Amino acid sequence: MLVGIPLEHENSAIEPKECAVEMSDYLVKVAEDRCKVSFARVFGFFAPRLRSYALKQLGNEALAMELVQDTMSNVWQKAHLFNSEKGSPSTWIFTIARNIRFDMLRKVQNRKEDICADDLWPVLCEQTPDANEQALDEQVTLEQIGHLFEDLPEKQKIVLEAIYIEGKSQQEIADELEIPLGTVKSRTRLALQRLKGMISDYD
Amino acid sequence: MIKFHPTPELIEQFVTGILAPAESLMVSAHCDMCKYCRDLVDTKTAEFAFDHLELESAAASYDPQFDMMLANITQQPAAEPRDRARVNTLEQEALSTTIELDGKTFELPKSLHRLVQKKGNWSSLVGKLWQAPVDLGYDGVANFIYMEKGGTVPEHTHRGSELTLVINGEFSDGMNQYDSGDFIYMNGDHTHAPKSDAPEGCLVFSIVDQPLHFTSGIARLLNPFSHLFFR
Ligand SMILES: [Zn+2]
Repeated sequence: MLVGIPLEHENSAIEPKECAVEMSDYLVKVAEDRCKVSFARVFGFFAPRLRSYALKQLGNEALAMELVQDTMSNVWQKAHLFNSEKGSPSTWIFTIARNIRFDMLRKVQNRKEDICADDLWPVLCEQTPDANEQALDEQVTLEQIGHLFEDLPEKQKIVLEAIYIEGKSQQEIADELEIPLGTVKSRTRLALQRLKGMISDYD
Repeated sequence: MIKFHPTPELIEQFVTGILAPAESLMVSAHCDMCKYCRDLVDTKTAEFAFDHLELESAAASYDPQFDMMLANITQQPAAEPRDRARVNTLEQEALSTTIELDGKTFELPKSLHRLVQKKGNWSSLVGKLWQAPVDLGYDGVANFIYMEKGGTVPEHTHRGSELTLVINGEFSDGMNQYDSGDFIYMNGDHTHAPKSDAPEGCLVFSIVDQPLHFTSGIARLLNPFSHLFFR
């Protein structure tokens, strides 16, 4: 049994900025030490607020409490996935709640679509590196490219230059040129294929 | 360069989770391809979360049930961080992230990766046009559509709405020129005839909630059968 964890009923006096910093620290303690006191603070602040959000969204007391329960369980169990550089605790906790709500409604309304919240907003997924991205560097070296480079179509040249000379990632290039990542990938692939073709012709 | 984005209203509905699932999938896939909208989504999410979970005063809704809930939750063990190496290989074996047609390989945005397994076979339509249905369990119809260079969709209007995401290539529809990443919304007010002149053709993903209505020339004869198109 759990005794002696004070549940704070009143902390609306905390300033927003401080609140984010304070709650971040608590989440880190939960992640690192499984600190129940810290979690109680987070819970005390967010659970009632989550409940009024959930009530507005779901209009049903029992479902609202279920949403609070599921959300806060995730916060407790997966605190290690919180990253304060990516956003505030309220943002993280809201996205967890929104996703649970989305999947809850899917069940309740008996929706036919096979689309779940994880497809749309991968909030609680562990990041996995992109295999294609890593393998790229090994495919062709700069010396091999040399003057052949000039013969590439302009669009492909820009992408390769950014990768090999400026050392940018494909995602960075996509963002800068405002084109999709897939387009950068296919331009890179085409350019490399072309270069390889030129190299073997040249030999 | 991406010129056509979801409207701010659509982004907001997506962020708050009230946009319908199929539309949400389109917005999510566009955001995979568009930094501008990705940033907008992040900003809107933070704002909404702040308004509802920080500014909101909580005192009125305190409930003694919470004490029990808290005790309950902290008795649960932490989630085991997943074995990354294992997950990686498992997922990569299971999930192809590209689709192929006629020797060409197309990289899909992340949100659409799961559709690779739900995709039916490519079939050839009129006018250098290919389609592969996607089974979303959706009331409307979802398709990958590929226009070869010179390929044309007969001019049509929409009874419902049509959402199209350009995945790779370029096409025009008599009103605008679209490029990879563009997000296009059409409804009953629009009549258009998409056509691709790009050397590599154009792959789009499209969802329509009702059959198309063809408006011109010989294609009008297709109307009685239009439910067979894009389905
Ligand atoms: Zn956009």
